[in-house]
Amino acid sequence: MEDNRIRKHPVLEFERGEEIYFEFEGERVKAYPGETIAAALYANGLVKFTESKRHHRPRGFFCAIGKCSSCIMRVDGVPHVRTCTTPAEDGMKVERHGALPEFPKDVPPNSPRPLERDIDVAIVGGGPAGLSGAIVAANHGLDVHVFDEGNHQGGQLVKQTHQFFGSHREEAGTRGIDLAVELKEEAHKAGVHIHGGSTVLGYYPDMTLTVEHENKLEIYRAKAMAYCTGAVENYLAFENNDLPGIYGAGGVQTLMNEYGIIPGKRVLMIGSGNVGLIVSYQLLQAGVDVVEVIEAMPHFGGYQVHASKLRRAGVPIRTRHTIKRALGTEQVTGAVVHELDEHWQPIPGTERELECDVICIAVGLHPDNQFLRQAGAEMKYVRELGGYVPVRTPDMETTVEGIYVAGDAAGIEEATVAALEGKLVGYAVAERLLGGSEEITMKKEGVQKSIEGMRQGPYGEYPRRGVKMCTLEEEVC
Amino acid sequence: MADYKETGVLSLDDIVKPSLERMNKGPVVVIECVENIPCDPCVAACPKEAISMEDITDVPQVDFHGCVGCGLCVTECPGLAIFILDTTSEPCTVTIPYEYLPVPEKGDTVYALDRDGKRVQQSQVLRVRCSGKTHGITISVEKENAWNVRGLEVKK
Amino acid sequence: MSVVICRCEDLTEEDILEAIEKGFKEIESIKRHLRLGMGQCQGKTCVLLTHRILARELGLTPEDMDEPTARPPSRQVSFNVLAGDDDE
Repeated sequence: MEDNRIRKHPVLEFERGEEIYFEFEGERVKAYPGETIAAALYANGLVKFTESKRHHRPRGFFCAIGKCSSCIMRVDGVPHVRTCTTPAEDGMKVERHGALPEFPKDVPPNSPRPLERDIDVAIVGGGPAGLSGAIVAANHGLDVHVFDEGNHQGGQLVKQTHQFFGSHREEAGTRGIDLAVELKEEAHKAGVHIHGGSTVLGYYPDMTLTVEHENKLEIYRAKAMAYCTGAVENYLAFENNDLPGIYGAGGVQTLMNEYGIIPGKRVLMIGSGNVGLIVSYQLLQAGVDVVEVIEAMPHFGGYQVHASKLRRAGVPIRTRHTIKRALGTEQVTGAVVHELDEHWQPIPGTERELECDVICIAVGLHPDNQFLRQAGAEMKYVRELGGYVPVRTPDMETTVEGIYVAGDAAGIEEATVAALEGKLVGYAVAERLLGGSEEITMKKEGVQKSIEGMRQGPYGEYPRRGVKMCTLEEEVC
Repeated sequence: MADYKETGVLSLDDIVKPSLERMNKGPVVVIECVENIPCDPCVAACPKEAISMEDITDVPQVDFHGCVGCGLCVTECPGLAIFILDTTSEPCTVTIPYEYLPVPEKGDTVYALDRDGKRVQQSQVLRVRCSGKTHGITISVEKENAWNVRGLEVKK
Repeated sequence: MSVVICRCEDLTEEDILEAIEKGFKEIESIKRHLRLGMGQCQGKTCVLLTHRILARELGLTPEDMDEPTARPPSRQVSFNVLAGDDDE
């Protein structure tokens, strides 16, 4: 059987442990502890995960982090299981189901009465923003709970194998993966309650969250909340854009850097922002060919240093180019790209066919804001921050009193800013629940200064302008 | 918009170069980082305090006479944009940050690549320094290639 | 060959254009008409693309538009989680 697992990597080490086996449509599939079902299946060469509802087109996963639900299968009799976030277990039975799966015959026993709990602070999302905020709040003595769908926290840091940019005081030069470990350790030390594998289902008035954990319902009433739910990848409209083999850049990163599985052999990268450039470089590091990086704009979007790394490795970056269609019937076998004129119209005669088995979409992110909407926070469209974002105070409090936001959910920026915003929220929450002090005010100002520092320079102009558009003026007491 | 924003390849005019006088004194740093990005690990990496920045988004300022060409900054730059050039040694050398597999060993012959990924010449690996997961690899280059060679490819 | 806009509900660009033609001119009504954004992912991939189509076809800007209403549950959840068996 195929095995797409990376054995040797210049930056990462994959300690895989003892092999386990589950059953997939009658076949024995090898997995390693910690791998999700989807990761293990992909490592064994499976690309078609499900079928589309109406046209029965083949579908692969897209996001690989539990957001897009293109990877649902029947697991131990239960349909609609998101296999990209469900860990593979020894002896499991996994099968694909059609677009509208049968209702399970063996209904699992009903769950007991939901657990109900009053807590101080509920934080949704255990990425850099959520964990940083939780650590600060918990260090002030608050009872802090972080809810995260994943089984190991750190958000998207865990797949960032490059050294971080930013100030060395703010962990620049550190790799995201190492930073995630540090944050988790610090959170444990601070006494933060981390609820892994916990899916927040909804927000209800007066600071109540419903959470699903191991098939049981839990209800938490908090005194303050922070939404650190991160972002969702932007999708792109082109012919055949739903074929297996077309993945979001985050999905590719997750597969490659978290699970050590290569997404394919030849990748066409769409988008030349930092994400597209960095993931292209990481693909090269994993031994995968990057055919081309294409970009619709007349210039690439990311940092010159990232682009230069790729160019030194011989990867072409083609600006004013876009994808017209993906080729293939069951999975991607190639792509047709073409040049654009200054009015973004295709230039006739510039069509080119490229051979590739993966098309990676890296055309930006938008804030994941559905809980903020459920809570009734006022939203505003801010192009500079990637989409609809909550209106907030300088302390990152939304228009719903006691509900805060930090990280990409508040606007798309870098992980360092997310962590800093998290810290700021941690102090603001402590101030709200425990009363202000000169020290807290000073700390808050310090963090705000660091955030401003990160937004200096030409690359900071965009977020700087965006944040201004959705930040309320300081209240005058 | 500068040409490099279209190509990803810096031209020699984009780069701040040490004076010929300094080049003739021995190994020296060349930082190919031309945008005001929020990043400063190079400043902390320099034991001679020869790299400075007022603001984190400044382009690194190098005091070329303070630089001793030790190469500690090469492996600390997240952008892999720092190189050490020595045009006084025989042969001339360039030290390149490297994060691929396989890692070449001292004595190996490799292809030296330019900023465009093209093979310029064959080079000897003279030194391999490892810091964390990034390697600083010093290779021999012909004198006229010292300003062009910025990458390397291990022979298969 | 189709351009897919909503992966979960399997809606193509043509489906959206047809809905606009019929008079469903903002995302909330398109959602109610086609179930756009009501599948497993709850609108995470389709809303942005639909906004682009609306902008192109009707000359709207993102500021003129809004995202659809968000309601719990945010994820698919099995009934037995919600309807616990309880003595009390």
